[in-house]
Formats: sequence, structure tokens, C-alpha cells
Amino acid sequence: MEARNVWKEGPAARLIADYHALPGVPDELLDGNGQIRPVWTRFIEHFARISPDDLALRFGRGEQYLRDAGVFYRQYDPHGSTERGWPMARIPVLIEEAEWNHIAAGLRHRAELLEALAADLYGPNRLVAGGHLPASLIAGSREWLRPLVHVPPRGGNYLHFIAFEIGRGPDGTWWVLGDRTQAPSGAGFALENRVATSRVYSDFFTESHVHRLAGFFRTFRDTLHGLSSGPESRLAILTPGPLNETYFEHAYIARYLGFVLLEGEDLVVEDGRVMVRTVAGLEPVSVLWRRLDSAYADPLELDANSRLGTPGLVSAVRQGSVTLVNALGTGVLETRALLAFMPRISRELLGQPLEMPNIATWWCGQPAERAHVQANLETMMIGPALSTRLPFESDETTVLGRKFHGQAGASVAAWLEKDGADLVGQEAVTLSTTPAYEDGRLVPRPMSLRVYLARTQQGWQVMPGGFARIGRSDDASAIAMQRGGSAADVWIVSDRPVDTETVQGGSGRPYTRPMPAVLPSRAADNLFWLGRYTERAEGALRLMRAYHIRLAETADPDSPLLVHLEEHLKTVGLDAAHCVPAGLLSSLDGAINSAGKVRDQFSTDGWAALADLAKTSRRFSRTLSPGDDTARAMSVLLRKITGFAGLVHENMYRFTGWRFLSIGRSLERSISMASLLSCLADAEAPEGALDLAVEVGDSVMSHRRRYSVFTSRETVLDLLGLDSLNPRSVLYQLTELRNHISFLPNAESHGQLSELSRAVLQVHTSLAVQTPGTLDALMLNVLRAEIEALSDLIGATYIH
Amino acid sequence: MLYDIRLKITYSYDRPAIAGRHILRLMPADLPGVQRRISGALTIEPNPAERRDMLDFFQNAGVEIAFREAHDEIVFEVKSRVERVAEAPSLDISPPLPQLAREIADYRGLDAQAPHHFLGASPRTAPSSAMTAYAEEAIRPGITAFSAVCAVGEALNRDMTYDPEATDVDTPTEEAFARRHGVCQDFAQIMIACLRGIGIPAGYVSGFLRTNPPPGKPRLEGADAMHAWVRAWCGWQTGWIEYDPTNALIVGADHILIARGRDYGDVSPVKGVLKIAGDQKSEQAVDVLPVPEVVA
Repeated sequence: MEARNVWKEGPAARLIADYHALPGVPDELLDGNGQIRPVWTRFIEHFARISPDDLALRFGRGEQYLRDAGVFYRQYDPHGSTERGWPMARIPVLIEEAEWNHIAAGLRHRAELLEALAADLYGPNRLVAGGHLPASLIAGSREWLRPLVHVPPRGGNYLHFIAFEIGRGPDGTWWVLGDRTQAPSGAGFALENRVATSRVYSDFFTESHVHRLAGFFRTFRDTLHGLSSGPESRLAILTPGPLNETYFEHAYIARYLGFVLLEGEDLVVEDGRVMVRTVAGLEPVSVLWRRLDSAYADPLELDANSRLGTPGLVSAVRQGSVTLVNALGTGVLETRALLAFMPRISRELLGQPLEMPNIATWWCGQPAERAHVQANLETMMIGPALSTRLPFESDETTVLGRKFHGQAGASVAAWLEKDGADLVGQEAVTLSTTPAYEDGRLVPRPMSLRVYLARTQQGWQVMPGGFARIGRSDDASAIAMQRGGSAADVWIVSDRPVDTETVQGGSGRPYTRPMPAVLPSRAADNLFWLGRYTERAEGALRLMRAYHIRLAETADPDSPLLVHLEEHLKTVGLDAAHCVPAGLLSSLDGAINSAGKVRDQFSTDGWAALADLAKTSRRFSRTLSPGDDTARAMSVLLRKITGFAGLVHENMYRFTGWRFLSIGRSLERSISMASLLSCLADAEAPEGALDLAVEVGDSVMSHRRRYSVFTSRETVLDLLGLDSLNPRSVLYQLTELRNHISFLPNAESHGQLSELSRAVLQVHTSLAVQTPGTLDALMLNVLRAEIEALSDLIGATYIH
Repeated sequence: MLYDIRLKITYSYDRPAIAGRHILRLMPADLPGVQRRISGALTIEPNPAERRDMLDFFQNAGVEIAFREAHDEIVFEVKSRVERVAEAPSLDISPPLPQLAREIADYRGLDAQAPHHFLGASPRTAPSSAMTAYAEEAIRPGITAFSAVCAVGEALNRDMTYDPEATDVDTPTEEAFARRHGVCQDFAQIMIACLRGIGIPAGYVSGFLRTNPPPGKPRLEGADAMHAWVRAWCGWQTGWIEYDPTNALIVGADHILIARGRDYGDVSPVKGVLKIAGDQKSEQAVDVLPVPEVVA
């Protein structure tokens, strides 16, 4: 259909002139008569006036924001999984407030229905008893969790945060494509998408009367606080961990709302209560926003193969001590075949018809339905009845009936007859189109919306926005992001100015200082190792640089000094034969790995700096040649790593987690310095070893300033071993260590030092009483072993 | 029949287990009309930090326990007196197999006895084309559901070899079937998969079996073992029947029940999640002693 222009001429007219809706498919930009829908007019006028160069800059700005924020999701393919940048669509989807209110009312109704359905399936089972729902469908579902039957949820509600996938059908009305009740993902992505899109259209957005998202999240956060059992009890987000496709989002929401991010192993159940293992001991939790599929949540009573769960969680739920958002077992509501029964279920449970229809579905376990599917193969998708996937996330087991066309009809009939109870037919998805910007022009692409609902004290609230999946082609089945689709921001446009509050809350509320967050032991462990690995990598860089500078000077790898240094490199796991030794790369990988598990604990800048460092090192490892080339490359990497250290130590809030990071760093630095000195300040060390030590110890300037003489064993041992003002000395780092440890929980109780506090004091003292004359290689080696023992003791005391 | 049952299970660990949480299903069941538990005591050594009785979905009594202190051995001991009511073998009034599906569909409920839980795949026992083909081979057309259960049980008893060395507790059902070797757990799970494959709802029963010493020999103490067999739903009139494929017989007064479920996973005697570093060993000793009626 031709776009009938509201503009006679000008940029908007030219932009719209070659935009054609597809025949028989409704379009978001154009109405049935080809008229621009009024909600789009101002945006299109604005968009059309932006020059191509400016547009490229703006898109760059949005994408840069997403990259800087570290927004990614995990994409799976047969060879494994990779982190992908968030595929932000360039044009938002605009929906008029009045139409949205209509959608919201339909979805609130459906949310009530799903709650009633959950209560029936885990309670009296009236629907099954009344013949409204086949018992076999429920009994056969892996998501109907028997240990939760007749276990009413704490607080009475099964559902608190859900999502719907909706689309506009051929007749222009909205349809529900799927219900997401297990652990709906994407709300955090929607937020980031919004920030990025509003940067692209920053000048337009502020005046555009687009409903903001922050209020929705604030209300939900306050509601969750209301569910917790008291001020001393906590809220947390339960994640399957960094390998999950949406882990980024879990960390993001945790940071955004100020919740602790926990994995199953962070929790332990004691006497029916759920507790977090923290560095200060066990702390109670009473609300878990669950982003982990129910079946994995408790290996004792649910899936015994789960490595992600907490033994005893079901028992705690049974005893009513914890609220899960959503309740365990609510994944059963996502079962495809249930869509076939929803109209009937609505009448039975609520006494009302559905306010918004769902995608037409027929369960092939019944003869009449089976016959209907058989007769209408052309327009059917046939797939597993118990699947919880969305219709367009079709897998190998879902086929388009059309594909059978031309084959013997009898084979389909036989298939439906034999496996009917396991199959559903669903009307093949036809979705409306929305404009996408491709190759400098607007083209219509199929889209579906994901809409989020949260239960609040005032009932279900609908997030005014969400995100739209946009297909990369005309094919409606290609809107899944795993298949290359993109995600557009959704703008609900009012004709009046909108409330622009932020998640921090409006003014006029009394300020209450929140309780300091707990530090889970696992997070402390990862921060500790992040500190150790980055310091280890930095030490390796300095050693490698020193080696290659000498190599460039002498061009003789067999000179006594280089041979001596090579020996030392070997003892710290570095092979001098490689310009970027594997030992260095594995320290960086260790750092990335540790950091990846605590993304909620430090800034995205820090993460980006670390990722950049690892990437550059790998690139160097393929191209460098020994000598000067490598020495200079090591300097580049050193600047990057000190950049990371600076970010962390300048900007990180001085919470207990920062202490663990710093302890890791001090520990590693003191160990490596002690070992460097025992090698290079040894009486037997070749000529030049002392200067090398000062250089690796980054103390050339200090040495010159302190001692206007040649380097001697004494000056080196004094400056790098015993100087309490040199941040590179062993004693300085032990002082730091003692200081940090004194701030840890239970460092002292009733005036009595803890075992760890005593041990660090002992090590510190034994070094502090030395002089350069008494500090020999043997003593340095003993010292190193004592510091290593501190590392184990820290683990035993705080990490468990 | 009246029995005194003694069960002792010992777990020992190479290195101390740090902490653990377990669900125990060890106590003979109390089932009106089937089996009466006159007395029953469960002792646990060391004493667990938590101990709580529970009733699972299939109405089995369980005990949930947790240890917090490191321990290198756990001993569970059950002493119970049970009266088992012998059921007279009934007439076969079950429907012909093709009609069973209709009767299942007419069962509108999801209670513990509902047949719907016992069809299709359960975590440890899924029908396979090989086992279904085997079961179809074992039955003749027009056979009743009850006779089909017996026919499949007899065929398995004939074709399988009892062999404690062939499998362990986690051997997949299909693998045990392919080898045609195994113990009572394998016999039961294979029979369950076979029955489900031909549309008969089937589940798993754990318990004890009274064994008779060879003629002229005394009964050896602790020589009995825990046992497992099958239950199958044969329509409205017949309901659930129990069959022991290891011994090719319909379950009677020699079988003492502990728990019922879909497969071993639902009824495992000691289910647990434990933090251990080294290896673990377990031993069990079972005595099923018939009590002369005069004592009762």
C-alpha cells in the first residue's frame, strides 16, 4: 500500500515516499489506509531532518553507550557460545498512549488469570477435575514440580514479575504469543536500550512525551522490600551465573536496584531459613528474585543433576520462610498446549472471557482438534505440546505445516494420530511490520513486543515500554535475536507531558540510609583473586620488559645476567622463549574470569579496561619479535594495566569487597617482591642483577633519590624489602595487608585478635625487625612461604 | 504376616564430609488394608543438626536431615514391626489393553494415585523404541492390561540375568536393558519403561523381601537386602497391582513396602547432597524376620 503523505513536500515526504507496507500485513507506521499514524508524525519529521552524517554520528553514540556499558548477551551456536553486542534497532516503535492502555488492561487481566491458574494447578486442580484441562498435559510437564504441590507460596502469590510476548495480527488487534512466567528476561536490556536510544534522539526525546521506565522499576523494588520479613532480612537476585545468556542483565538489574546478586552456592538452608554465606558469616534472605529455572534451584528435591542450586531450598519454601519471585514451579504456565485451553480456563476461573486473545492453538490429543490441524496444515506450525518456547523460537522439532505440502497427506495424519497427545498446532505467526532503517531508507520489518508486568501493592503494573524484536527480513520467524533479529526501544507516547522521575525516587520521601550490602563469600573470593591475578600479570609484564630490554642491549641470550633472569622467570611460571608467555596470558584470563563472576561489584569501565588488556595481549602474542619490539609492547600493556589499577583504586567504593581486592594485590606483590629479591639480590647473582631488581621494582627514581651511591645489596634490600615508604617494598605491602585485614569482619572480638590478625602481625613483625644485613635469600624464601600461608588462612577464614 | 525388620546402612568417607542434607525413605509404610506399621524407630549416628518429618507428593513418609559438623561415617538404623496383609489373587477383570487409554483419560485428577504420573518419561526411566518393541513382542493381541503386566514381567524374568556386578545405582535403564543384566532396581525400571511403552501406567516400589534360607540351613543374619518391584495401573476396576520381575511373581505377603514413586529417584532410600573430597563406601545389612503368630 502506498503511503498517503500528510506532507506534500520536504524531507519527511521524501523519507516516506518509498515506504510501502506489505500487502495484507498491518503496519505500525501506516494505518489501514496508508495514512501515517498520528503518533509517528513528529518523530518522522524530526528523523527526516537529520542529515545522513549526523545520523551516523548519533547511531555511533548509541552503540558506543551500549559498548561502554558492557551490554551483551550470549549467543549459542553448535561450536559453543560467544558474547555478542546488544543489537539495538535504530528506529523505536511508537505506540499511542490510548492504544497502550488498552493493551495494558488486557495483559493485567491475563496476569490475574495466570495467577489463578497457578493456584489451581498447585492446589485443588479444579480445572482437571472438571474436565477443562487434560490431566496428562500437566502430569507430563517437566515444569509441573510435584514437591511444590499443596505448598502455598509465602505471602499467597505465585507470580510477581512476568512478561508477555505480544504481536499485532492481520486484523490489526493485538494477540498474546506467549506467557513468560518462569524467569522472564530482558527488562534490564529494555532499560539499557532506552538509555541508548534516548542518546541517539537526545534533542527530540526530552520533549517527546514518552513515558519513562524508572517509575516502574522503583515501584517494583519498593514492593519487593515490602515482601521481605524485616529490616535485617535481605533481598537478592538469584542467577545461574556468568554462563547464562542473560547474566549481564542480572548483574545490571542488581546494580540498578541495589540488590545483591547471588548464585545457588552462595546460599545455605539452616533450620528452614535461607542464609547467604558472607564474609561476616551467615545472613538471612527472605526474598529471592529468581532468574534461575525452578528445576535447577534445589538438587535435593528438584533436578538432582543441578550444579546451580541450593539443597534444601524447597524445604525452606515449604516452611514459608522465603518468597521466590516467581514461585518455584510457575514455569508450567509457559506450556504451549495451555494456550489452547486459555479461553475456557478464563471462563472457569475468572468467569470472564479473555480480554486479549492468544495465538490460536489446538492440542492434537483430542480428535476434533487433531482433525482441524490436519485440515489446515497450510497455516499451521506443529510442535511439541509441552514445549515452553515462544512460537517464533521454533526449533528442529517444530515444523511449518506448509512444508508437508506435496508430501503424502497420510504421513502427517499418521504422525498426528500416533503422537497427537505430544503435539500442538499453532496458527503460523503473522506479525505487523514496523519501520527499520536499512541502507539509508526505511523498510517494513516484522516485530513482536515484550511487555513486563510487576505485582505491586496497587495490583499489576505494566512497564510503559519494553522492547520490540525486529526481524532482519520479511520472515516473521526471524525475529528471534538468536537468529539475527534486533531489539527496538518501545515508546509509549502521551499527548501530555509525562512524569520524569528516576529510580532514586521522588522528592518528599524521608531519606533512610540503606543497610550496607552484604558481601557474599564467593564474591570476596573472586575479588581477592582478581587482585592477585592483575598484580601477578603486572609483575610478569615488568619482568618481561626488563628481560627484553637487556636482550636488546646485549643481543646475547646466553649472557650470565639473562640466564639468571631466565631461571627466575621459570620459577614464576614464565617462559622467556615466548614474547608473550603463556603464564602471562593465563594470569590475565584468571583476572577476566574472576571479574566476570562479580560484574555487579565494580564498574563497567574497569571491566572494559581488563577486556581490552587481554585482547591486546593476545594480539601482541601473534606479532611480536624478541628484544626492543617486545620491550616496547610490554610498556604499552603496563600502561593499560596501571590504568585498570587506577580505575579500581581511585574510584571503587571502600566496601569490604574493595578490601579483598586490595588484600589480593598486596599479598601477590609482597610474594613476588620477596621472590625477586631472593633471586636478584643474592650474593651469587651476576653483575647487573641489582640494577635489574630496582628496575623491575619500579624504583629507579626512588633509589637515586634515597641513595646517591651505586646500587649495592644493602641499598636494594633496604629500598625493596624494608622501606616503609616505598609502595614496592615487601614491608610496605605487609603493612597494607595488616591494615586491610584489621577492617575485615571479626578481625578482633572482645579485644582478642583473630587467628588471621595474629598471623599477619607475626609475619609483619618478623620482617620489620630485620636489617639489610640480616635479610638473606633463605630468610626471604621463608617469608614468602609465610605470606602464602596467609593466603590460605584468608580463604579458610572468610571464603569457607 | 508379622515381621520384625532391621535395617542398617553405613556410609563411610575417606575424608570427612563437611556438611550434608539428606532425605531418607527407609521406614516401612503404614498403608491401611495393605500393611500396618506396629512400631518403627529410626536412629541416626552422628546426631544430625536438623531432623524433620515430611510427606512427599506420592504420600511417602520421609525424614529430612542436615549435618553441619564434619563427619567421616553416618549410620542409619531402622527397627520396625510390621503386619503385612496378604491379598488373595484376584480375578482378572482389567480391560483389554487398547481400552486402557480411554480409562486413563477418564481419570480426572492429579492425586498421588493418578495414573497420569506414571506414563511417559520420568527422570530415570523413559520408554525407548527397543523396550517398547520388546514389550509388544511379549504380549498377544487382545490381551488384558493385567495379563500384559504379567506377560512382560515373565518375559523379562526369563531374558534377564540377575547380576550385581553388571550395573550400579546410576546405570541408565536403557543400558541395563541392552545388557540384559542387572539387579532388582534394573529389573524394575526396565519393566516400568516396557509397560509405559505399551500404554500401561507403571511405577516403582521400594521395600524388603522375606527370603527363605536353603532347606536345612539356618538363616544368616543381615543376609536379606532391600528390594524393588513394579506397580501398574490396570484400569478403574482393578486399580494398581504390584509385580516383582526379579522373581516373576505377583507381589504378596513376602513383600514389605517402604515407598512408591515413578522410578528409583522418587524413592531412593538415602538421597543426599554432600560436600566430600574423597571416595565414599556404603554397606547395608537387612533382616526380615517373620514373627510367629503366637507372639503377636
